[in-house]
Amino acid sequence: MSEGHEARVPASHSLPNRDDEARARLRAVAVRAHPFVAAADRRLPVGGLLGELLPAGGVQRGSTIAVDGWPGSGSTTVALTLCAAATSAGEWAAVVDPDGTLGARAAAEVGVELERLAVVRHVPPDRWGAVVAALLDGITLVVAAVPPHLRFGDARRLVARARERDAVLVAFGTWPVEAAVRVHTNPSRWRGLGAGMGLLEARDLNVRVEAKGRRFARAG
Amino acid sequence: MTRTCCVWCPDWPVVAARRHDPSLRGVAVFVRERVGARELVRAASAEARAVGVTRGMRRREAEAQCPEAVCVDADDALEVRAFEVVARALETITPRVVLDRPGLCAFMTRGPSRYFGGDDALAVRVRERIVAALDDGEPDVRIGIADSGFAARLAARQAAPEAPFVVEAGGSAAFCAPWPVAAFGDPELVSLLVRLGLHTLGDVAALPADAVLARLGADGRRFHDLARGHDPGPAVLVTPPPDLVEQMELDPPAARVDQVAFAAKGLAGRLLFRLAERGLACTRVVIEAETEHGERLARCWRHDRVLTPAALAERVRWQLDGWLAQAANLSEHDHDHEDIDSTTGGLTRLRLVPDEVVPADGCQLGFWGGDQAAADRADRALARVQGLIGSEAVATAVVQGGRTPAEQVRWVPWGDVREPQRPLVVGPFSAAWPGALPSPFPARVFDPPVSAQLCDEHGLAVVVSGRGEQSGPPARVECTKLPGGGGVVRGWAGSWACDVRWWDPLARRRCARWQVVVDCGADIGDVACVVMVEAGRAGVEAIYD
Repeated sequence: MSEGHEARVPASHSLPNRDDEARARLRAVAVRAHPFVAAADRRLPVGGLLGELLPAGGVQRGSTIAVDGWPGSGSTTVALTLCAAATSAGEWAAVVDPDGTLGARAAAEVGVELERLAVVRHVPPDRWGAVVAALLDGITLVVAAVPPHLRFGDARRLVARARERDAVLVAFGTWPVEAAVRVHTNPSRWRGLGAGMGLLEARDLNVRVEAKGRRFARAG
Repeated sequence: MTRTCCVWCPDWPVVAARRHDPSLRGVAVFVRERVGARELVRAASAEARAVGVTRGMRRREAEAQCPEAVCVDADDALEVRAFEVVARALETITPRVVLDRPGLCAFMTRGPSRYFGGDDALAVRVRERIVAALDDGEPDVRIGIADSGFAARLAARQAAPEAPFVVEAGGSAAFCAPWPVAAFGDPELVSLLVRLGLHTLGDVAALPADAVLARLGADGRRFHDLARGHDPGPAVLVTPPPDLVEQMELDPPAARVDQVAFAAKGLAGRLLFRLAERGLACTRVVIEAETEHGERLARCWRHDRVLTPAALAERVRWQLDGWLAQAANLSEHDHDHEDIDSTTGGLTRLRLVPDEVVPADGCQLGFWGGDQAAADRADRALARVQGLIGSEAVATAVVQGGRTPAEQVRWVPWGDVREPQRPLVVGPFSAAWPGALPSPFPARVFDPPVSAQLCDEHGLAVVVSGRGEQSGPPARVECTKLPGGGGVVRGWAGSWACDVRWWDPLARRRCARWQVVVDCGADIGDVACVVMVEAGRAGVEAIYD
């Protein structure tokens, strides 16, 4: 008799816990681990304060984002933050940088994994469109500095190419055609530097985000 | 069974260099190659080896071991060109010579061995032909014959310079057994095997084949086959579909390699892409060319692993170089060898024929969803961009030691080894670089600096004395790269004097730096930048964008 009793106790302990709360948690795990993701739901989550401003907290794959602002107002940092979103998701990013002035340490600082960031430097102006199109074929996020007199047709072709290849085109500079999201950097303020003392410490980035008729503005 | 004869010329790069430049004969020579940022020894002559120079050693170390040695740069094209002589000599014995790399080639012995009366007689004949062709005194040629390509290569390594080494039929497994697993040549797998307690090929061969496949995958099975003295892999050889031949016409006929090389790269990419579409990969390829006088040239190249587009394009380039250089030589010296087919004139047609294809099973996708697939896609896209605008234009950044933002980054062309020139961490120590600007780092870096005007409140240019003191606080910065052309200084820190490489009169630089916040106008706002003054001239080095 004692033997039967002892055998029953561990059996009841080993039964899985199946109350409602556990089931709900299990269902949440199952949804997260779901192997199939509809193409429209594929987005790269962007971290930090910029992510809070972007619609749905990230960038939609297949879309175009226009980033502009005066040099020094933080537009490069915004573009690099988007690159960091791609590389930290295990994807690849590329920057088309015709002047060859991108600062790689700043990229590493905002979280870009440099071994998955290709930088195309010194692009001849007549090859710009071909280079960006070739990059969109294989790379998830392409930041392209827009040349001064880009034709509408060429720009639209790149938007279509990004949509078709499920890649993100980040147009850096004045973008003549439509974009899913437009990020504009306004004048920012630096802290830490006095008259003859201190060091640059931090800045208040002032960013305006426009997306599909909505407008978010925030200084952060 | 594919009984194979392997011909190996040890330290072929040295032999090639000496044939090219006879003044190197009789002196210690080593050939260096560049691997990433390092210079390693690719091959060394017997004189250099005698005092301890070995393959894979750093150049500096080799120079310390053997200070009197002459150091020569590696030249792949030269090596292939020189080896073409050996390949042509072998072609007088058998029509199918398979090149592995310059210095190593193989052919099947079945026909020639019967014709010349046995393996031993064949080996002697092969040696005679090569020695005659090289016409070089007593060249170091090792010949091994065994039941598989791998065993034949080991036999060639065992052979003495004068006496070929022939492993009797059926004895290859026993011959391979005592060799250490390092003979496989795959450092990762070899280290795993050693840790598993498998030290010799015999140990590996003794394992059951299914267990090896389960534990080590397709690569492991290949090595298991090699260790048992079999030719690896496709027991069921997939016959290459005849329509997979890629060819192109060259019009006008090409007489120089660079005219063909770029097109050949595309041809190689197309061939492998079409094979990949059918789930096939190529391990052996025949490169064929036709000249304007109707001659046909063909040469078979094999690769230990599956050929990648880059590896195939490289081999095509080497081979074309070999043929075209031969043509140029013949027209110069007017040689006339009756038994050697000589190339005359430019090439009019180039064909790539896949000779041995295997099911493409070597590519293991990343466990957590298509990482490898994404990397391959990115690789292809970037290779295409390199084709469009040049290979130097696509780069990745490596962070390294340095003081200025431009020095702290090394741009490595895509596909090269990512190694810093000045490592940040050396052994257990991390380099300090006193005077380097701390975080945050500027997002736009100008190398060289863009010239600017740095003025004090009286409108005079700010200069720095020999003791590093500035003539006055900066009040205004003007530069074309600053939005609005610059403006009034709202905050500054500095000046930090920097006197680098003072011990070297040519590389010495003295400059002073400031971190400056400039008010560039009402609608632009503040812009932070790094300004430097060197030899009385100011420049903007970086903008914090």
